[in-house]
Amino acid sequence: MLEVQDLRKRFGDKVALDGVGFAVRPGEMFGFVGANGAGKTTTMRIVMGVLDADSGEVRLDGTPLTYDARRRFGYMPEERGLYQKMKVAEQVEYFGRLHGLGRAAARDAAGELLERLGLAARRDDAVEVLSLGNQQRVQLAVALVHSPAVLVLDEPFSGLDPIAVDALAEVLKDRCSSGVPVVFSSHQLELVERLCDSVGIIAGGRMVASGAVDELRDTEGRTLLKLVVRGASPGWADGLGEVTTDGDRQVLLVESGDDQEILRSAMRAGEVEHFGRQRPTLAEIFREAVA
Amino acid sequence: MNGLWLVADREIRTRIRTRGFLISLGLSALLVVALAFVPKLLGGKDAYEVAVVGAVPVAAQDVTYTKYPDEAAARKAVSGGKADAALIDDQKVVSEGELDQRLGLLLESAHREGKIKASGLVITPLQVETGATAQYQSVRTGIATLLVMVLFFLLIYSSMYVAMGVVEEKGSRIVEILLAAVRPWQLLGGKIVGLGLLGLLNLAVVIGGGLIAASATGLAADFPPGMGGIVISTVVWFVLGYAFFSALAAAFGSLVSRQEEVNSVLTPMTMLMTLTYLVAYFAAVEPEGTLARILSVVPPFSSMVMPVRTAAADVPIVEIVLSAGLMVVAVVAVLFAGARVYNRAVVRTGARVKLAEVLR
Repeated sequence: MLEVQDLRKRFGDKVALDGVGFAVRPGEMFGFVGANGAGKTTTMRIVMGVLDADSGEVRLDGTPLTYDARRRFGYMPEERGLYQKMKVAEQVEYFGRLHGLGRAAARDAAGELLERLGLAARRDDAVEVLSLGNQQRVQLAVALVHSPAVLVLDEPFSGLDPIAVDALAEVLKDRCSSGVPVVFSSHQLELVERLCDSVGIIAGGRMVASGAVDELRDTEGRTLLKLVVRGASPGWADGLGEVTTDGDRQVLLVESGDDQEILRSAMRAGEVEHFGRQRPTLAEIFREAVA
Repeated sequence: MNGLWLVADREIRTRIRTRGFLISLGLSALLVVALAFVPKLLGGKDAYEVAVVGAVPVAAQDVTYTKYPDEAAARKAVSGGKADAALIDDQKVVSEGELDQRLGLLLESAHREGKIKASGLVITPLQVETGATAQYQSVRTGIATLLVMVLFFLLIYSSMYVAMGVVEEKGSRIVEILLAAVRPWQLLGGKIVGLGLLGLLNLAVVIGGGLIAASATGLAADFPPGMGGIVISTVVWFVLGYAFFSALAAAFGSLVSRQEEVNSVLTPMTMLMTLTYLVAYFAAVEPEGTLARILSVVPPFSSMVMPVRTAAADVPIVEIVLSAGLMVVAVVAVLFAGARVYNRAVVRTGARVKLAEVLR
């Protein structure tokens, strides 16, 4: 289990992190969301040891992270970087070796991964001649070549076309199901909702919500009462909630009130097509949390 | 340690394949070989052919006399290139273009000697005694001057490569994933070691090329005893100087994120190197001067002044040991300070990092 505990970090006068903490279990995919400048990248760089926190700790399976433990992590930084003039396979292999693989193991792992990511034909090309999407795949291969024990990926999906997004999602799910904790940050909330078991929402250097996606939808944000009524005369729901009209249908969203009473008045006003609770989407929870 | 060697290995593999490296290697070898031929080209001739009309003068060293029946024939031999000059009736010298200075002196002294002999006077030539070392002085100065250029060129260009490599990794942000796999000192150390080995390879090519060319041209015969010592001292001082300047280059380089900024951020270092070069150049000409003697023990000047001084003159072993000891201390200090700056600055991309901020 990867535990991030109460990280604090200042850059001069600016407080970047003000007590950030979350935990990711083995085999769990954790989505890290937040606005630009909220502290996602700083947190991930501290987890990777690229930056030092002013206080707080990162633990893996109960012990504070050491340099050797971090070498078994796979990391994809927000700012992508590769040796532009180095050949694809050579580069992936080099990183495998830096992470401690032997020569033959690194070569095999690199070959297998490039095959899987559809880059086998480009293995002897210099990185600089690849398209951006393919460079991103090489970046991913570099993060995965040593079969990392933990994956930390900063915005891995940004700049990818939908097909590449699906391919990357598959690879991540695969690693995750083999028991690796996966942390990734993203702005694509639908994607996070679809892929992640749990999420953490960060705003202004603080965690404003974190937990399993289902639980959050139940507990965080507003759960609204939603009614769809057909043929009602306009104005019947004044004062009850927010009404939108769609043809002869009216959709009413109610934040609070006596639901039975509202149902009765709706039935008097017209034909009730839908009556039920609507859980907030992750996007709604996010907007509310960071507002 | 393994990480360091992996990094060094990559540096060597990538750099050795670049055209820039191969060109500089070839050029430096070519330069040294060419220089070995220069004395031969500039040294003039060492045997002269003189056409003589009338009485044959007293024999002179390196001069062969050939008799011609008359002045016209002698002049023809000179203009046809058969003779370097013509001596007419022991009175007049004719030459094509300017008369070779040495030949002029030789003919003049032969002429005088003939006249003196004829008058019955006997002159015993002056006896010249020289010290054992003095005889090699000009050769040693020549070697020292060459050494200054070679050391300066190799030090500055190897250090520049270190700085450029640091900026390449910082600017492309690849340093973040590198630091997730290796420690900063391994990354920095690997780069310095790898590029340093390439610098040594270049130095070996220059020295080897120079020595081979020198024996091919016969220049090696004039070499002073103890050439082996000069070569060893050059290599050792190159290593020390390179360690010092490359650590500086890495520290300064890590402050910026773009290649265009490398030159300006390295200015203090290149100025220090240029100053060292100038001092070493004077030391080559005047190895026993006070300035040369003092600066040959002060780091980092000693990294170039001392090898040059040892090539140009005999330096007491005490001074060499003292100088090397001080340089090692300076190298260790700069490596520590450089690594500290590098550690703190290399992940701070964007605007140029202020040195004072990261040294605190």
